[in-house]
Amino acid sequence: MKCDYIMIHYGELSTKGENKKVFISRLTRNIRHAIKSFPNSVVTSDRDHAYVSIGNEDPSALITRLQDVSGIYKMSLVYKSSKDIEEIKENALDLLKEEEGKTFKVEAKRGDKHYPLDSYGISCALGDYLLDHTDKKVDVHNPDIRISVDIRDDFAYLSSHSYLGEGGYPLGMNGRVMMLLSGGIDSPVASYMLLRRGVRIDCLHFASPPYTSSAVIDKLKDILKVLNVYQEDIKLNIVPFTKLQEAIYKYVPEPYCITVMRRMMMRIAEGVAKNDHCLGIATGESIGQVASQTLDSMVTINAVTNFPIIRPLATSDKLTIIGVAKKIGTYDISVRPFEDCCTIFAPKKPKTKPKISEAEEYEAKFDYASLVQECIDNVTPIMMVGGEEKIFPKTDNSDK
Amino acid sequence: MIYFDNAATTPALKCALDAFVKTNVETFGNSESNHAVGRAASKALEGAREDILEMLGLSSTHSLVFTSGATESNNLALKGAAIKYAKRGKKIITTVAEHPSVLRPLEELKDLFGFDVSYLPITKEGIIDPNELKPKMDNEVVLVSVMAVNNEIGSYNKIEEIAKIVRLFPKAIFHVDATQAIGKMNLPYKNIDLLSFSAHKFGGVKGTGALIYKKSLNFIPVNAGGEQEKGFRAGTVNVPGMVAMDVALKYSLSKMKESEAKEKEIYSFIYSHLITEKEQIIMNSLPLGESQTPFVMNFSLIKKKASVVVEALSNKGIYVSSVSACSSKEERSSYVIEALTGDEERAENSIRLSFSPSSSMEEAKEFLSAFDTILSEVNDR
Repeated sequence: MKCDYIMIHYGELSTKGENKKVFISRLTRNIRHAIKSFPNSVVTSDRDHAYVSIGNEDPSALITRLQDVSGIYKMSLVYKSSKDIEEIKENALDLLKEEEGKTFKVEAKRGDKHYPLDSYGISCALGDYLLDHTDKKVDVHNPDIRISVDIRDDFAYLSSHSYLGEGGYPLGMNGRVMMLLSGGIDSPVASYMLLRRGVRIDCLHFASPPYTSSAVIDKLKDILKVLNVYQEDIKLNIVPFTKLQEAIYKYVPEPYCITVMRRMMMRIAEGVAKNDHCLGIATGESIGQVASQTLDSMVTINAVTNFPIIRPLATSDKLTIIGVAKKIGTYDISVRPFEDCCTIFAPKKPKTKPKISEAEEYEAKFDYASLVQECIDNVTPIMMVGGEEKIFPKTDNSDK
Repeated sequence: MIYFDNAATTPALKCALDAFVKTNVETFGNSESNHAVGRAASKALEGAREDILEMLGLSSTHSLVFTSGATESNNLALKGAAIKYAKRGKKIITTVAEHPSVLRPLEELKDLFGFDVSYLPITKEGIIDPNELKPKMDNEVVLVSVMAVNNEIGSYNKIEEIAKIVRLFPKAIFHVDATQAIGKMNLPYKNIDLLSFSAHKFGGVKGTGALIYKKSLNFIPVNAGGEQEKGFRAGTVNVPGMVAMDVALKYSLSKMKESEAKEKEIYSFIYSHLITEKEQIIMNSLPLGESQTPFVMNFSLIKKKASVVVEALSNKGIYVSSVSACSSKEERSSYVIEALTGDEERAENSIRLSFSPSSSMEEAKEFLSAFDTILSEVNDR
């Protein structure tokens, strides 16, 4: 039985009051964008659901694509029927016959309050009919198959199948942050968590040639190609970090190198974030994972900026993070062996409880501010759009 | 661009590429096909085979199997011969400094077929001492495998002397991995039973190579499934590639003397400069001599990290080789340098320069100046 629509159940809309309209219009726009390669599908929405007409497109390909769109809780394949109860019965029977399972339940809803039968009446009428015409039994508590019927003003909508979506909020609803992307396992997962939360990302990478290999940039591009599924255009800012890193290595005692380096990174991130109109900084840090990610370290590192630093993975354990990385397809890219700037200067005994006062004392030994500014001013942007690198237009922040 | 990584691979010679394209267009047939197009391909292939054997002076004593390169040739030689002649004995002797395409197949022979593999150590010169081989030889030895020129340090084994020792034991087969030597220097070819090489190390196209074997020898095919190459190597033969290999070898041999003289000049020039930087560099290869070829030079960085210096050179358009573009998570080092020096850190921070007939003194000078600048700029490890 060929379905007519995919009915989309909104994500965390129940928690939203006044932003409902924004949520729906943003999601509708994102869905339209996501399925633009399905020219025969049309997207409409009302306050309860969005609908994607299937036309002659492949419904399973559409569902797969829509499963990457954040803000969708669930999708149902829907068959449109006339409101005549006899016709509804026939269509429900056809639907039921296609399903595998021994037990079923009919769930009826009546949007059209003038309909002659109420919800209970519809359920009973359909249930009786289906019981008489199949060998399946009714189980109202734990059915194998759920046949749902929604009587609306125009038509009756029947469905038997639903698919879970990404959940979260529509992308772009919750502002934009500057994501620090190293190329490791964690930061792509943190990016994904932000994206499904509706937060757009710009990315920032600290490159220290020749201590880091230029192959890392290719690796980052490959990671962004994966993330382009969730955000079609992602800007990657490459910071030329070598000079500053060498200075840190020269002036700061080894146990404090990482702490000071992270503090410098936050200063630079704040500067670039401001230029790019981001509302915060995000990292892939997880509490306690390494020396620079202890709470003490975070306090000392955070002290250099008033910007919110969002750590989506703060409480995730490594196995969970790896699991998500594998699921979204960034794991195999992340484990390619290239040096990033954290591993090359790694001190033998990094400080796990660094103090702000001491960090400040070491930083006072050199003119870091001008080096930080130099980093901010010389960022190279790379634009990844739909899995392809786009030549970035000349930098011009004046019109933003 | 300065390309000093010719031990990894070389650009294809123009004459080889021309022959490759021409054969692909004009003699594209399957050499096994029984019609005029196939017979033309077969004729080209057999011509290349005869030509290569003749150039090496082996027409009357040896035959040749075309392969995809030295890795396949080594696998075919070692597994094919050891298994074929397993009844003669189960002992195999090789060296610690062989290429992985020799060491791995031998490990398989040990683990899966119960062969007893022993490894000869290398001297400070990066070669084996033939006197170490003598006491290990007996009538149980079925195979002796020794590389000609080492791919990491450029040292040259005393192949002729080793061959004489092996010859005293008629059951033992002598295999030489000549990948880094052929086309560059003369080898005592007649004394070798099995000889492997790749064409892309002397200007041929990638994916081509050969195993030369004494006519009296027999071995089990590693690739089974067809009667090509007398049943020793099933699969449609890459006729254009093999014709190109013939052309590249002919060209390389014709220029061998002048190429070697030029590479010797470059080697000595760079060597004499690097050896003065005692605080930064320690040489792993020796000065030119009987056991040191001018094709490959190896040294270690005392203070800097090799991968960082290689990356810095790469950013300047100068391409040399370190063991691996490794990460601290997956640290790898050169087992050859470690066997040579017994020093792990030295093995992790070794750099290899490898030259070709197209390398020049100007490039050598430019390399040294860039290299010195990088050493002064880059932080210590």
